[in-house]
Amino acid sequence: MAEAFWAFATVFTQLDLLGLVALGTFAGIYIGAIPGLSVTMAVSILISFTFAWDVYPAISLMIGIYMGGVYGGSRTAILLNIPGAPSAIATALDGYPMAQKGDAGVAIGVTTVMSFFGGLVGILVLAVAAPVIADFALRFQPRDYMLLALLGILLVGSLSGGSLVKGIFAGALGIGIGSVGMDPLTFTERFTFDFPVLRQGVSFIAVMIGLFGVSEALMQLRHLDTPIIKQKIGRIVPSWGTIRKHLPLSLQTSSIGVIIGALPGTGGDIAALLAYDHAKRVTKNPEVPFGQGAMEGLIAPETANNAAVGGAFIPMITLGIPGDAVTAIMIGALFIHGLNPGPMLMIDQPDMFWFIVGALFTANVFMLIFGLTGVRVFTKIVEMPRAVLIPLIMLLSIVGAYAVNNSVTDVYWMLGFGVFGYFMKQYDYPLGPVVLGVILSRLLDDNWRRAIISVRESVPGFMAGVLGSPLSTVLFVSVILIFVSQTPLWGWIKRRVT
Amino acid sequence: MQPQNNRRPGELAFALFLAGFSAFLLYTAYGISGFEALSAPGAIPMAATAAMLITAGLVVVQTLRKPAAGLGFWRFVLPPIVVVVMVGLLAFAAVLKPLGFLPVSALFLVLTIKLLSRRGWGYSVAIGLGCLLVIYLTFRVGFSVLMPPGIVPEGEMLAWFRGLLGGGR
Repeated sequence: MAEAFWAFATVFTQLDLLGLVALGTFAGIYIGAIPGLSVTMAVSILISFTFAWDVYPAISLMIGIYMGGVYGGSRTAILLNIPGAPSAIATALDGYPMAQKGDAGVAIGVTTVMSFFGGLVGILVLAVAAPVIADFALRFQPRDYMLLALLGILLVGSLSGGSLVKGIFAGALGIGIGSVGMDPLTFTERFTFDFPVLRQGVSFIAVMIGLFGVSEALMQLRHLDTPIIKQKIGRIVPSWGTIRKHLPLSLQTSSIGVIIGALPGTGGDIAALLAYDHAKRVTKNPEVPFGQGAMEGLIAPETANNAAVGGAFIPMITLGIPGDAVTAIMIGALFIHGLNPGPMLMIDQPDMFWFIVGALFTANVFMLIFGLTGVRVFTKIVEMPRAVLIPLIMLLSIVGAYAVNNSVTDVYWMLGFGVFGYFMKQYDYPLGPVVLGVILSRLLDDNWRRAIISVRESVPGFMAGVLGSPLSTVLFVSVILIFVSQTPLWGWIKRRVT
Repeated sequence: MQPQNNRRPGELAFALFLAGFSAFLLYTAYGISGFEALSAPGAIPMAATAAMLITAGLVVVQTLRKPAAGLGFWRFVLPPIVVVVMVGLLAFAAVLKPLGFLPVSALFLVLTIKLLSRRGWGYSVAIGLGCLLVIYLTFRVGFSVLMPPGIVPEGEMLAWFRGLLGGGR
């Protein structure tokens, strides 16, 4: 026990490690805030020049960047409606309307404190229940992942604003976009139209920046003469009353974040969207409607995506399975340093496990400090004249789209989706489900095919598998219930029952 | 995002375009592997595009039922300023590689700020070039993001700059 405590406290007792976590978190916040610069990219670049370092300093820096980056994506989502990272897509839905009303300071303050809270829950669960949750995640079969993806896609109901039909269209379009390129299982070309450039698929970042960044900038051109809203940043730290009021919801959405984060292949982006949907379902009378600046719509995704960081480490440390792209790179980093993540790491080197927990905890504290300071400078961005801000957003979007693959093609994609998104917005087609479809298409496609192949293409066999497993049955019933609850049939059933 | 009761200009044309596009994509998805197997590479694309076609058809029907709002397309949906900026963005992407990031971005920022702000050239040039300098230093120098150099001898410029900072060592 004492050894575990000292391993946990290593980061606070060694100044160089403390400095590296602080530096990583600070850099992570700004990397996460800039669209096109991903945490995955930053951590993978870091490996190339930290491989000669000792393992503790290398891990300290990477964990700082990871934690800061997941939080940093919310900044541009709130201020510019450009999610800096996929995990901040849901944050933009209510964060940006808050900034438009002049409450950017409040939105960033709440986001920071709740991200800290979510991160803390994730780390606590990692420390206490890592082996149990990892064992649970390991039981997931392909059909369960497929059902999970389906569950995620059914979120269109809560992301589609007024029209469910347009929401389903947008979600299906997203799945179609996600299918473009070479099929990873059979190497068959899908929607490539014999263009070699389409074989590698459509860059998700280009889709995201186009739909959220450029389309919004084009929309803003219509409001050039609208007076600039001064942001109220007098009180950044939210009141205890606000925190206490939303504590039950934060606990629920943090739990969603940890569980989703612990499932291999699913990360903060899916966790945040599921948490947003959960908040919308459980909050009966929000002070401000969802999509127009609801505090709950901001708290749910931000607690969930930071809780997912702790969750993602659970399968990585205990089973050697990455929870998301960043932890996959970290496994590589541990290998480079002669460590084998997996059940034996917990037995042979428990100090490494407790060191990681300590580094995550420290990064979370630094995230709170850096998040609550420097807000004023960041908030000034939205008070810039629109005539300067709009060209800047467009230029940043172009740089962001280009930076991912150093490809002008991605810039064309981004601009295409920007113009398409502009018309979709004009005619009330929701943009969130398109991005959701792109994110989940691979999970849905791969696991549906694995599941159906495992029962030799037999639908009755597939259904027998679903009904024969308690986990699959719960997921299947959830899918059916969520689907029915979004149709007029639900109202009819409710009327019949009452 | 609440649906409006009146049909806006171009709304029906957009809905019809989406329906036609969905039909084309469904046909293409069928061409991937047909009804070969449930696990075929075309299975999910076919299901997705079929869902697109059905919902796009429903949207067309819903849109047809709405009374026309009688607004002008070029005034309310696609004002000239939006068209000009869209064309500017397309031109930016087209000349980004041959001319390079620095000159194209400088031109884009200065011209767009001038057009949108309706202020003098001095203001547009100062703000535009100042913003470009910050973006360039952040991305190119800070994060080592490689942007197309084009006609600008960027490598030599950076080497000279680093030499200056390093005191000629």
